[in-house]
Amino acid sequence: MSGTRDSGYSLRPTAQLRRRKLVNLAMEGIGAAAALVGVAVLGLVVWAVAKRGAAALNKDFFTDVPATFGETGGGIANSIVGSIVIVLVATAFAMPFGVLVGIYLNEIAGQRVTRLVSLVLDVLNGLPAIVIGIFVYGLLVIGSGHAAWKASFALAIIMLPLVARSTQEVLRLVPEALREGSTALGVARWRTTVGVVMPTVLGGILTGATLAVARAAGETAPLLFTCSVTTSQVSWQPTEALQSIPLTIFQFLESPNPDDHAKAWAASLVLMTFVLVLSLLSKALLARSRRKLSR
Amino acid sequence: MRIALQEDLNRLQADVQNEGELVLRSLRGAVNALRTRDLELADEVIAFDDEVDGLYFSIAEGIYTLLARQTPVAIDLRVVLATLHINLHLERMADYCVTISKLTKLVAGVEPDEDLVHGFDEMGTRAEEMIRVALASFESRDLDGATSLVDLDEFIDRANRRVLKHVLELGGDEDQREWGLRMIIVSRCLERIGDHAVDIGEQTAYLVTGEFREFTDATHDDTPDRPA
Amino acid sequence: MPATDTVGSIAPIEIAQRERQPSPIQRSVVFDVRDLSVHYGKSQAIKDVSLEIYGNMVTALIGPSGCGKSTFIRCLNRMNDLIPEARVEGEILYHDQNLYGAGVDAVAVRRWIGMVFQKPNPFPKSIYDNVAWGPRVHGMRKGLDDRVERALRQAALWDEVKNRLKRSAVALSGGQQQRLCIARALAVEPDVLLLDEPASALDPIATSAIEDLIHELKSEYTIVIVTHNMQQAARVADMTAFFSLDVHDDGSRTGVLVEYDETPKIFTQPADSRTEGYVTGRFG
Repeated sequence: MSGTRDSGYSLRPTAQLRRRKLVNLAMEGIGAAAALVGVAVLGLVVWAVAKRGAAALNKDFFTDVPATFGETGGGIANSIVGSIVIVLVATAFAMPFGVLVGIYLNEIAGQRVTRLVSLVLDVLNGLPAIVIGIFVYGLLVIGSGHAAWKASFALAIIMLPLVARSTQEVLRLVPEALREGSTALGVARWRTTVGVVMPTVLGGILTGATLAVARAAGETAPLLFTCSVTTSQVSWQPTEALQSIPLTIFQFLESPNPDDHAKAWAASLVLMTFVLVLSLLSKALLARSRRKLSR
Repeated sequence: MRIALQEDLNRLQADVQNEGELVLRSLRGAVNALRTRDLELADEVIAFDDEVDGLYFSIAEGIYTLLARQTPVAIDLRVVLATLHINLHLERMADYCVTISKLTKLVAGVEPDEDLVHGFDEMGTRAEEMIRVALASFESRDLDGATSLVDLDEFIDRANRRVLKHVLELGGDEDQREWGLRMIIVSRCLERIGDHAVDIGEQTAYLVTGEFREFTDATHDDTPDRPA
Repeated sequence: MPATDTVGSIAPIEIAQRERQPSPIQRSVVFDVRDLSVHYGKSQAIKDVSLEIYGNMVTALIGPSGCGKSTFIRCLNRMNDLIPEARVEGEILYHDQNLYGAGVDAVAVRRWIGMVFQKPNPFPKSIYDNVAWGPRVHGMRKGLDDRVERALRQAALWDEVKNRLKRSAVALSGGQQQRLCIARALAVEPDVLLLDEPASALDPIATSAIEDLIHELKSEYTIVIVTHNMQQAARVADMTAFFSLDVHDDGSRTGVLVEYDETPKIFTQPADSRTEGYVTGRFG
């Protein structure tokens, strides 16, 4: 590069090296710009929703039920409660199944079964939410009406692959040496999984759960078919058809009342904040469980 | 740390001290047999050498195995090498005791010269003392004790030179002259035992200082003494 | 030094009594391995290995890498069961019971034959819970504190950790972690301890501590150790087995047992030239 040995080991850059450096700089610049665009998009969305939504936010927004037709004021208390109930029940459905599937895939199943089931889960993950919604509609709603738990069922189907795959992934991170150490003590397989492996990955599973909850909280399509004929009263009963935030946003925006539009933005802000917080939380949990494992 | 190595080293050094004890018994037996012309005792000393040889081989094998297995370095290595040499010196000393006893048997019939026999008794006592000092200073890594052996050896060396003079003055019949010649060899054996004790001291010095050197070089003054 | 007799008689009886008695080596057979062969799929890892492993002794397995020492030792506690492609042929009798016989539960096997691995693998739990895990699973719940303490003492770790038993085991140094793994294995009171290169991930001082530990433990346990460091085998083992590789025409290699004898013999006068080539470092 810098001439031959005879030229005395020059440390100064050649023209070729200088050119390479320029190309380097250009690529770095382009990369940085792309990253900036990505960040900017999120920033824009957050900013736009926040700006428009903050205007309609007040204490009443969280504590009141919607105003009757034609009147101003009111809040989305029933939607908040409804969303909480629907998501909680969905989590209760999805978590045990998802975790068990993840354990089965990583700890018990052979290679071929694992590949097959993983594929199925990935496909399920990619299934449009509206298709899942209509499936549950056909299964549960026809002939018996809307209910929160039916919405939860649909959301659980959406959450299941997320929980299962993340459980599987986090179990895969556990070094085989850990299981071997327990096996070598004369401990049966299942006991090793429950007593040694699971405590190690609790953080990771929580992360997966958090991500799944964040996804489920924002899905609208399934709610349309399973839980949209709702009351405007606050209720904690899963057997009733409870109002939910995504549906509220949809309905508010459809309404001719401009006051409702403002509320739509505000509700969006609430939902977005919720999802953002959950995402950040899941990242923090994941980092913590990584630290615990990698010593 | 290195428990196994330490146990092996301790055992070897204990064995060497035991070997020294056996050599002392051999020496005492040989000198007594010479003085009292006790042929039975002389036979026992000769037979007893098998005991010493057995311990000698056992120690040699132990050193071989220890070097192969434990790969000692630094002070440990010097201890092992010193033990190796001391083992040899002790075995040679025992062999000299056997020689003395064999010579005792050969000249059993002849009337001994009392002065000479008394001299041998003193040489033997001094040699015993030297063996004790040599082994004690090896055990306690005592450099001064080791170097003192040179002076202790002076007595035996001078006594050895006097024996030669004495025998030359003896005269007498053929048997007595044969006795005299044999006694020169006995004296030489005792003098060599003393030298081996000094060599043991040199091993101790090597162990402590890491340097190998002779306490006295071969060119030291060997002139006969003036009469006491 | 004791004073010698001044009166010189050395009785022949004394001589006979002091004659060295060769101490008879009490050998009880713990493992009787007969024609053991292991295949991983198509390739053969070890072939026709036969030897006896004796109780309360340290037996070392040495040889070049890939010669099957780890494969062999993992047969002794059926850890090879965890590898689907592994196929074990031949017989291993453990206290006269066939280790691979019908009706033998591999989990029960590992209760009596414990193993410590090359890289320390403590659980991400507290030091106490690491050691207590085995006993708890096996229903030894009474006197757990004493059991944990005894195991940690046996592993020469008690003094260093007695005031921080509740702290995470992962925070210990490498040498301490390995001793913790040994304590963990000892806590269930096994009969045999298998050590698969226990010190190869440790620095020399930690290694020396482990070797001293093995020296102390053999009075209570039977120990089998795989090591790629033959000097370690020389220092620590009573019996040494040398494995080497047979190279076939098609280039594949199979591990075979070349020589098995008392350690001093292997390192001073080995019977097989391959053994001598290996221990002198002349050939790999």
